[in-house]
Amino acid sequence: MTARRRDLFLCLILAGFAALLPVVSGVRYTVTQTTFFFIWATVVVQWNLVFGIGGIFSLAQMALFAVGAYTAAMLGYYLGTSMFLAMPAGALLAVIFSVAVGLACLRLRGPYVALLTLCVAQVMYLMIVNDTDCFTNPPAGCMPLMGGVRGFSRFGDLGFRELLGPAFYIGHYYVGLAMLTLAMIASVVVIRSPMGLAFQALRDNPAYAAARGIDRFKYQLWIFGLSSFFTGLAGAFYAVNTGVVGPVVFSFSHLLFLLSMIIVGGVGTIWGPLVGALLLMFADEAMRELGDLRDIGMGLILVGCVVLMPRGVVGLLEDLARRRAAQPARNAPLPTKESA
Amino acid sequence: MDSQINRRNFFKGSALLAGSAGLLVGANGTAYASGEPIPIGQAAPLTDFAAADGVEFRNGLLLACEEINALGGVLGRPLEPYFEDTKQMGDATNVQAVQRLIDRYGVHAVINGYNLGSGSAVQDVIADAGIIYMHNDTSRGHGVLVESDPQRYFGSFQTDPSETWYGTGLLKFLKSVEDDRSFSRPNNKMAIILSAGTYASNIANTVRDGAADFGWEISLYETVNVPTSEWGPTLAKIRQDPPAVIVVTHYFPADLAQFMVQFMNNPTPSLVYMQYGPSVKSFRDIAGQAANGVLFSTVIGALQDEMGLEFERRYKERFGANAGHNSGMQSYNGAWIWAIAAALAGGSGEPGNDDQNRKVADRIRSLIFRGVGGATRFVPGIQEAYAYPGGVDDPSLGMPHQFLQIQDYTGEPDLIAPWPYGKAAFKLPPWMNG
Repeated sequence: MTARRRDLFLCLILAGFAALLPVVSGVRYTVTQTTFFFIWATVVVQWNLVFGIGGIFSLAQMALFAVGAYTAAMLGYYLGTSMFLAMPAGALLAVIFSVAVGLACLRLRGPYVALLTLCVAQVMYLMIVNDTDCFTNPPAGCMPLMGGVRGFSRFGDLGFRELLGPAFYIGHYYVGLAMLTLAMIASVVVIRSPMGLAFQALRDNPAYAAARGIDRFKYQLWIFGLSSFFTGLAGAFYAVNTGVVGPVVFSFSHLLFLLSMIIVGGVGTIWGPLVGALLLMFADEAMRELGDLRDIGMGLILVGCVVLMPRGVVGLLEDLARRRAAQPARNAPLPTKESA
Repeated sequence: MDSQINRRNFFKGSALLAGSAGLLVGANGTAYASGEPIPIGQAAPLTDFAAADGVEFRNGLLLACEEINALGGVLGRPLEPYFEDTKQMGDATNVQAVQRLIDRYGVHAVINGYNLGSGSAVQDVIADAGIIYMHNDTSRGHGVLVESDPQRYFGSFQTDPSETWYGTGLLKFLKSVEDDRSFSRPNNKMAIILSAGTYASNIANTVRDGAADFGWEISLYETVNVPTSEWGPTLAKIRQDPPAVIVVTHYFPADLAQFMVQFMNNPTPSLVYMQYGPSVKSFRDIAGQAANGVLFSTVIGALQDEMGLEFERRYKERFGANAGHNSGMQSYNGAWIWAIAAALAGGSGEPGNDDQNRKVADRIRSLIFRGVGGATRFVPGIQEAYAYPGGVDDPSLGMPHQFLQIQDYTGEPDLIAPWPYGKAAFKLPPWMNG
């Protein structure tokens, strides 16, 4: 079995197990928190394409997430668009936005890309929260075009409330699971394709990659575009799942939390972001009662991982597996005269 | 929960018994709180810039639970509070925090102070779960939402009037101090300073829209980025064209305290009115002497009468001399209203038990609750507290819109209106006294 087939097969197996959770557990809290895991895992799996595979230190991912969320919410709020249309529309707008950001970053490297992409997100945030002009004047009070500080709510849903009543969250769970499964499959297909190799070549040795005819312009735009579709879709689904969207999606602490997931799991590995998201969401949940110590605890986990596992949990496991595979060969008896 | 209050002590010390506590005792009979606990939740800003208030909201709910449990809980079932942090708040954060309380703890009711946001997003989570929600978001959005679908939003109650009463109340208050000649305007100019957000802008817009009817012209209408401690640019505009009244509708105590400190470096002959923020002790702590003379108002706060002062004593005894009882009374008040209604309705309902919680909501709608902040009675259809004066003329039927002035920053602010709750007379601020 090829590595690509193995990874795809594993994706489907894991998705199958995850599909049983609402039936097996039945605890609402577990189901709703796992839905959030699907959302954040989708974001970090796609971010890993840009950051881990492409080696581009972009911090625009939460801005793309916000584009998806705000597009879906605004279409629903102002035009009454069904969320079945608004969600893909949000994803497509995130792609267009991401390609534009990719173009702006073409001449930049390393921390300068991070600064520019962070600036884009911050400008969006400030434009939203400082807009106090009334675009409409509903009875509840002034509503700025982008929702201002208050954001949007009651812009529509996927109809699970009507269909499933109080168990509507189970419908959202399966939508989230489907989204993450597709995002993982897309990620595996890209990484295990010639295009994925081109991304890695540009990351590891740009000069050599260029000498081999790999067009940085083309591939950088591809990677920005590809990674943003599911990020925008995750944003749109986040809006539908929580029923509200506001400027909190731009928060820097959120951005760092997601970045930590990639680092803890393993930058540039296929399964690292998924594992990182799972571990950090567990850790975050376990430390929920600790108040301010929770942030310190998360910081310690991150520092510990960076110091002890520079390649993340999955990177460490890969190293151990490689060492173990190499060991029999090293311990094998030297050939004797007879055997020769 | 480690209850610090027993039944006998509470009976002895509380001036509430004749009113609200009496209702609960009547419903509970001789029951002691020993049954299966009832989980109730609170989503409050326990960290970040509004933590000073958030901690008091938690304290208010804790004190209410202890007192209610000392009287037998709700029909013998003790209350068990759970808390979620809403940090910087905002609809998305607030909704997720409340959702967690429902999903994780199965709370029967969510009893909050305020959270920033639209004031009309959490209600959907509550409606989906079919539980009760008492809050002090002080938002017109709440009433508009409940009115749009009373069946769905049956369980959401705003235990104070909406923010728009601040605007109309201020204009009437200014007229009253002009009428009794304790203030005469040097000009007709009014400067309005607001922060981005529905709450502050709704108040500012109400003042702006009604100002002309009272002979005022708006000389400055400025939105500032908050939180902020840098008021120089705004004050420069005020000093260039001094108004008779400065109205600040932003409400973070620390920001407002910085405003006063910087204003007092070169004050203009203007009354300074703020809302809510100066009622929090940290405002006086930060502003110090610069706080003297500031006018402010709140539509929710402890009165300075027998009940209010007794509550303040108990609150500070429990949480320390520096505890902010004016913030704590918000959730305290909401918890008592809900507990009495739940006891009268025959118990509360867990998430999904709409039928029982609809009975609780019916009792809440029919209550006239005299708490430590005045009377709470809900406006039919919109389920927010009546405002007095303005909404009703009878002080026993509405939550008083209290006007206070800090006349000595080392003590509590003086309540100067409305009648019959006012305890002191308005004084011109020190910077206008020559």
